[in-house]
Amino acid sequence: MSQPPLLDVREFGLEFRTRGGIVRALEGIHLQVQKGEIVGLVGESGSGKSVLSYAMLGISDRAARVTGGSAMFGGMDLLAASEAELADLRGREISIIFQSPRTALNPIRRVGEQLQDVLRRHAAAPGADLGRSLKERAVQALRDVAISDPERRLAAYPFEMSGGMCQRVMIALALACRPSLLIADEPTTGLDVTTQAAVMDLITGLARERHMATLFITHDLALAADYCDRIVVMHAGHAVESAPTKALFATPRHPYTARLMSSTPGERSSIASLEPVPGNLPDLKRDDLPACRFAERCERVTDRCRRERPLLDGAAPHGVACWHPLTEAAPRRERAHA
Amino acid sequence: MPEALLQVEALHKRFPVGGRRGALLHAVDDVSLHIGAGESVGLVGESGCGKSTLVRLLARLLDPSDGRILYAGSDLAEIGAERFARHPQRAAIQMVFQDPTDSLNPRFSAREAIAEPLRLLQGLSAEAAAARVDTVAQQVGLPLALLPRYPHQLSGGQKARVGIARALAVQPQLLILDEPTAALDVSVQAVVLQLLAELRRTLGLSYLFVSHDLNVVRLLTDRVAVMYLGKIVEVGPSEAVFRAPRHPYTQALVSAIPGQGPRIKLTGEVSSPIDPPAHVCRFHGRCPQGEDRCAREAPLLRRVGAREVACHFAD
Amino acid sequence: MMNAETWKHIRHVLGENPVTLAAVALFGLFVLMAVFGPALVPYDPLASNSAMALQPPSAAHWFGTDALGRDIFSRTVVATRLDLGIAVSAVAASFLIGMPLGLAAGFFGGWWDRIVTRLSDTLMAFPLFVLAMGIVAALGNTVGNIVLATAIINLPFYVRVARAEANVRRSAGWIEAARLSGNGDARILAVHLFPNALPPAMVQVSLNMGWAILNAAGLSFIGLGVRPPTPEWGILVAEGAQFIVSGEWWVSFFPGAVLMLAVFSFNLLGDALRDIFDPRRRT
Repeated sequence: MSQPPLLDVREFGLEFRTRGGIVRALEGIHLQVQKGEIVGLVGESGSGKSVLSYAMLGISDRAARVTGGSAMFGGMDLLAASEAELADLRGREISIIFQSPRTALNPIRRVGEQLQDVLRRHAAAPGADLGRSLKERAVQALRDVAISDPERRLAAYPFEMSGGMCQRVMIALALACRPSLLIADEPTTGLDVTTQAAVMDLITGLARERHMATLFITHDLALAADYCDRIVVMHAGHAVESAPTKALFATPRHPYTARLMSSTPGERSSIASLEPVPGNLPDLKRDDLPACRFAERCERVTDRCRRERPLLDGAAPHGVACWHPLTEAAPRRERAHA
Repeated sequence: MPEALLQVEALHKRFPVGGRRGALLHAVDDVSLHIGAGESVGLVGESGCGKSTLVRLLARLLDPSDGRILYAGSDLAEIGAERFARHPQRAAIQMVFQDPTDSLNPRFSAREAIAEPLRLLQGLSAEAAAARVDTVAQQVGLPLALLPRYPHQLSGGQKARVGIARALAVQPQLLILDEPTAALDVSVQAVVLQLLAELRRTLGLSYLFVSHDLNVVRLLTDRVAVMYLGKIVEVGPSEAVFRAPRHPYTQALVSAIPGQGPRIKLTGEVSSPIDPPAHVCRFHGRCPQGEDRCAREAPLLRRVGAREVACHFAD
Repeated sequence: MMNAETWKHIRHVLGENPVTLAAVALFGLFVLMAVFGPALVPYDPLASNSAMALQPPSAAHWFGTDALGRDIFSRTVVATRLDLGIAVSAVAASFLIGMPLGLAAGFFGGWWDRIVTRLSDTLMAFPLFVLAMGIVAALGNTVGNIVLATAIINLPFYVRVARAEANVRRSAGWIEAARLSGNGDARILAVHLFPNALPPAMVQVSLNMGWAILNAAGLSFIGLGVRPPTPEWGILVAEGAQFIVSGEWWVSFFPGAVLMLAVFSFNLLGDALRDIFDPRRRT
């Protein structure tokens, strides 16, 4: 890649100071998102994927402390930025959409007002016809997310709208100012399969149209495979593998990735063929965590894995953080589109 | 054909809706279904299709508006939900819930939760119940050391096992599973699914397996029923239904599974379940194959080969 | 219920927060005063001695004496039993009647809910102290009627707390699971819902105890309720009210201070009780 990535995270570490101990939520994270690229951040609960995205936006919990590394966005240092600079960034350059649309919308304000709030906050300059132009832009934002009859919907309250429509409004809010990076944190978890497909089509359609970088956070590897250009797999606060989608599924190199794939029911699975990931997520409060946090669950573990943390090569197209990566192609599992 | 363990005939459930006087929401509309002994039947459909309501009717947590639920020769629908709690046949039909956290009383330890049905439904003494709790905990792979713990001290997978143990404790014949793995992580889900398959094999249970995850349903069921807006639109052997769905809705559903290739997009608004007109197909308006006939004559569930399909064009 | 695990949890809760420990200690002190006080006081609380009237606090009379020469310290300590007794009985009555009503209203909804809510709303529409005054004035000046009046005016709090809990939880999975396990309605209310409604109810209990004492003291202060010469904190404050201006501050001050401390300790106790009863705080 000749041009620098839009989002460039290197060796990023984060911990939480809690009453129960220090939770080492993230360690040594490498993540790059190019302009216009759709990257899937895949991991189970506790992997740190949401924590990472909140840290990028500066909306981490108060107990969070950055322990190292850097996070650059378009040349700007996110970690050194002031709250005012970050506030300018949020909504205008980087937007985030969450899992539950009803909790993301203010229930006592009309949809149009909420849209105009965002637009006004990031408006270039106040002008005489700001009011009118805001309203027009709000209508356009709703139209962009395929909401029918947008003029009438401006005056609606969230409770008057269905869940699916609230989701679209939330997407409209996030994209109103045309950010260059969209973070989608589990936007379709809990949705029906057809609604999920419609929402993902909407998001990725807009992303392609506007050449907008997207970081798509999910626990559903199959869903990420359908929509993302590249996938980064996370486990217990580490980024363990990063590869273009096709390559990841053709040859998963990290044992965890391979196990994730084999434990997800697919078209040709049978009960017997499911191979769950053994063991449990390590407790991130421990002082004696092995250097590779998958060590205690891995069948290929050696002493080196416990002592020395394998590094993810950010520059390589297919990077893996493992001392003994898999080399054979993934057996059998053909995907319809691969 | 295996003898039917549970036979559902023309089941209806209508809820009064505020607003217009007498308006009724048809959550379950003329559903007939049978589950054989030792058979695993899947129930799929999207939110709002009525599967949660149907499942609660069959588990006798709700009373139907009309219809019969025949089990071992008697109509369970005649016994009110509240009274059924103390009926001798209560133990025969048990349920595993979707959210393991929500389905456990936060003030009951795991042992207390599993023992309760044993004491109430089978009248076991404290010692007998404790022994049975140990047995069933081992069956579901729950370490005995975890039994004194409270739900907030257990992981998601462990809570799921407690829920399954509680349902199995009284040795039911039919186990209704309402999205039992939906709230679990992928790796835990795999373990629980394998456990469920194993238990069915060793205990000879029947399952009614409700899920929105079609891949999971495909793995664990012999037959599957697809619901849409309160009606069953297709029933048939699981593998066949997924490989070659015949109802347009089932086709759209299957095509929407990630990795299935080109998606059939459904356009149009979902019809309202409130006072639906009886002569119009529920899927009309969104159906890619809709014709005038669909608005004049609602299709009935009819036999097409090894399946039943409610569509005029499924042949 | 009280097994080793529970004691360990209680000790943990007490140790966690020094305020909690202080509140429990204070409360313990008041209970001891109520139980053993009358046997241990230096003077007979009813014995008057005109020669010693209105003496300031001294080594012989720690809190001084009142207009009739009675030892204020003895009277204050002896009053603890009466005040605490009134508070505990009134709150217990409110709790035992209000909780089941509220649980049933929240769980069943429908007519049950409407009737109970209307009743509760009606009670709450009155200024509570005025209502208590009305009840005592109508029924007569006895300790029993103070307890009754206090119990009635506190009912709505328990009804509300119980109703809210039952309403939220009635569609919870574990309620459905309880039905599947063979629980009829009554058992669900008693065994499943009631224990879950306890933590917030416990906070109410301790707050109510404080208010009940204030209520009883207030009623006695204005002449309704407990009649002199029975020692009761409200009466003691009333008796000293006229002497504040003339400089004999101790007659009202000490009973008033003890009253304040008692209410204070009950309020602090609320959080401690909730922590003890909430299983989620167990580690």
